[in-house]
Amino acid sequence: MAGKWKKKSSVPVGTLALFFVAVALLLCGSVGSAQAALTYFSETYTTRVQTHNIGVTLLENGNKIAWRDYQKERAEGIWNETQNPVETRLLQHLVPEGENFLMGKGYGEELAVENTGTIDEYVRVNIYRYWVKVGENGEETKVRDLDPSLIGLRLVNGEEWLLDESASTKERLVLYYRDILPVGQKTPLFSDLLTVNGETLAKVTQTKTVENGYTTITTEYDYDGVEFRLEVEANAVQTHNGEDAIWSAWGRRVSVDSNGRLSLN
Amino acid sequence: MKKSTAFLTFAAIVLALAANLSLAWGYFTTYTQASGRWPLRMGDKTNITEDVSDWTKHVVITSEEGSEPVFVRAKAFGSGKYELEYSDPTNSWSRGNDGFYYLNRPLMGGEKTPELLVKINGVPDKPQEEADKEFNVVVVYETTPVLYDASGNPYANWEMTLHATEGGDS
Repeated sequence: MAGKWKKKSSVPVGTLALFFVAVALLLCGSVGSAQAALTYFSETYTTRVQTHNIGVTLLENGNKIAWRDYQKERAEGIWNETQNPVETRLLQHLVPEGENFLMGKGYGEELAVENTGTIDEYVRVNIYRYWVKVGENGEETKVRDLDPSLIGLRLVNGEEWLLDESASTKERLVLYYRDILPVGQKTPLFSDLLTVNGETLAKVTQTKTVENGYTTITTEYDYDGVEFRLEVEANAVQTHNGEDAIWSAWGRRVSVDSNGRLSLN
Repeated sequence: MKKSTAFLTFAAIVLALAANLSLAWGYFTTYTQASGRWPLRMGDKTNITEDVSDWTKHVVITSEEGSEPVFVRAKAFGSGKYELEYSDPTNSWSRGNDGFYYLNRPLMGGEKTPELLVKINGVPDKPQEEADKEFNVVVVYETTPVLYDASGNPYANWEMTLHATEGGDS
């Protein structure tokens, strides 16, 4: 009996005790903040807790059309974000009521980003443009042989909005805002005008019909009935450890100088 | 160091690291998205009517309801024996250097052009020669879709080259 006890107690009691103390301390450290809430409250002396909430909002012609802001009002926090469907947020007032969309005309499409969080942030935007054919049953098919670059979004402020050419294609444009975007501030515009190029009218399909000795050539516009789509995604990331944060969050190597200014590597 | 002690020490380190894991790897990020769409409507159907009276062709081009706006031009071709004289009572057409008459404004869907008159001069009342008894004057008209500049001002590009795909015979 004594021999068995000796074998079981091969771990020194002191080491075992220290291990359990370490575990207990870790557990106490985790639950400490939860237990520490409101043990004393004074009506005279109040304090404000500053939480690190990140938030970003997309602006179209000066209006907030999409946002996602973290709100750590409770321990778990919540996301305050736009509720209406994504596809109903952009281009809703592109053409004045009662008018038709005119090929080649420039329509005001002023896009920018606002920092609606409580910490400074770096910002980038991904812009997608493409053509979609909508069938009679509502089924949507992406049309890949129509040129996305005919959906012309005029980019502006190119010095402040860096075009990532290595990640951009005819369909996708990736822009990085060069500077830190402080809390409550808006970036300069990254686009100001949307135009669908009149070249869309030049792409046609011709069908020859022979009837009663007469040949009729019917010309149909390839872009007739096709929808153009524009998608914009605004991303934000913390500025602390900016280079690593951007690499981790966006997969892009950047350099940050002493002023916090980004350059693409 | 005994194995069990080493294990417990290792476990304590792992626990301590795990407790800080989220702090070390977590970055504050967020994103938001918006998209929009706009359907394009193209296509036009036009036809011509030519009423003849007093050796004058009254040319009217009609755009069918629902057609997109087009610019129109027209020109008459004859044998050359008789002079063709154009007139435009409403001042809606302009003669181009190529001999075509151009409507001064876009023709909207469902609209008709004002009349373009083509008078055939010099036709004898009682033609003697067989060739004078029958001749053709053909009016050719063309349309091109209205384009707009960045400010929304309409213009025609008569030189636009179509990139056509063969849709097959039927």
